Amino acid sequence: MSPRERARFESRISELGEQLGKARSRREAELSVGADAEMRGRGMGYGMRMAAELVAAVIVGGVIGWSLDWVLGSRPWLFLLFFLLGFAAGVRNLMRMYERMQREFAARGGRIGQSAPDDD
Amino acid sequence: MPDPIHQFDLYRIFPLNLGGWDVSFTNSAAFMLLAVLLTVAFFVLATQSRALVPGRLQSVAEIAHDFVAGMVRESMGKEGMKFFPFVFSLFIFIFVCNMLGMIPLGFTVTSHIVVTAALAALVFVTVLVVGFARNGLHFLKLFVPSDVPIYVLPMITLIEVISFLSRPISHSVRLFANMLAGHITLKVFGGFVVMLLGAGSFAVLAPLPLLMAVAITALEVLVAFLQAYVFAVLTCMYLNDALHPGH
Repeated sequence: MSPRERARFESRISELGEQLGKARSRREAELSVGADAEMRGRGMGYGMRMAAELVAAVIVGGVIGWSLDWVLGSRPWLFLLFFLLGFAAGVRNLMRMYERMQREFAARGGRIGQSAPDDD
Repeated sequence: MPDPIHQFDLYRIFPLNLGGWDVSFTNSAAFMLLAVLLTVAFFVLATQSRALVPGRLQSVAEIAHDFVAGMVRESMGKEGMKFFPFVFSLFIFIFVCNMLGMIPLGFTVTSHIVVTAALAALVFVTVLVVGFARNGLHFLKLFVPSDVPIYVLPMITLIEVISFLSRPISHSVRLFANMLAGHITLKVFGGFVVMLLGAGSFAVLAPLPLLMAVAITALEVLVAFLQAYVFAVLTCMYLNDALHPGH
């Protein structure tokens, strides 16, 4: 290989490397946009699930209290008590779900409930 | 405006009465049967060749299998694979029913709470039966957290019991509400298009709700899959409690 050929060969290689780098960064940008949209969709899903979780527990508590009142004739005290207990159970459900989500996210290398680090 | 609720109407295809019970074959039952037949036909066809290098159909069947198997193994461990057929059937049935609902003129079986509640009750009862059969009274440990001071224990236990009882409700309502709300939204936007077209010069605005309807259709396809997935994941989680009630 003559020196001129070698120089051409090397410039060709660096050109190709540059193009490859550009293509890679474009691909990565596309991927991160997709991931962002996916995260937002997931967030929406999690929000709905949390709402259902909380409301279901309150309803169950309320119904139990209401029926006990009906059986024991102690209206409205047990209803109030179990309504509050139902709320507590709902919060318990949420906490458990949050822990599970946290684990899921951690397994994928992310975290929720934490904003991106900023400069100041 | 077309009635957005009309799509959920039930009607009898073959009226049938058994001992005072109305067990007619309805359009809902027809779509359930269709979902089951489609599923069986697909998997029979897909597993016909049993090639080492799978063809297209076989690949889809294998992906479906690995997807659910991964989910089961992840949440219940290796011994949880006993429940694989149960979880797989639930997932595929709900998924196919949701997807059949996305086809125009289709009927969405899972938009009726009686269906989703029956599925959730099936899971709930399975958890109870398996939990007591495997662990006996140790299953009740599920309601008694270990590191709690004795003076709040009764209250915590009560809260845990309510939390446990609320599971089938949130389990069933989530699937039902998502499908119902999505299909109503879709119908309402479709109705807007028709109304605008009939409103003289406002007809130029008609493409806007049409675009929305197209976008929501795409979203609904995602929801149809996601809700089937969520239902299956929660099923795994609840079954895991039956296998390992300690924590």
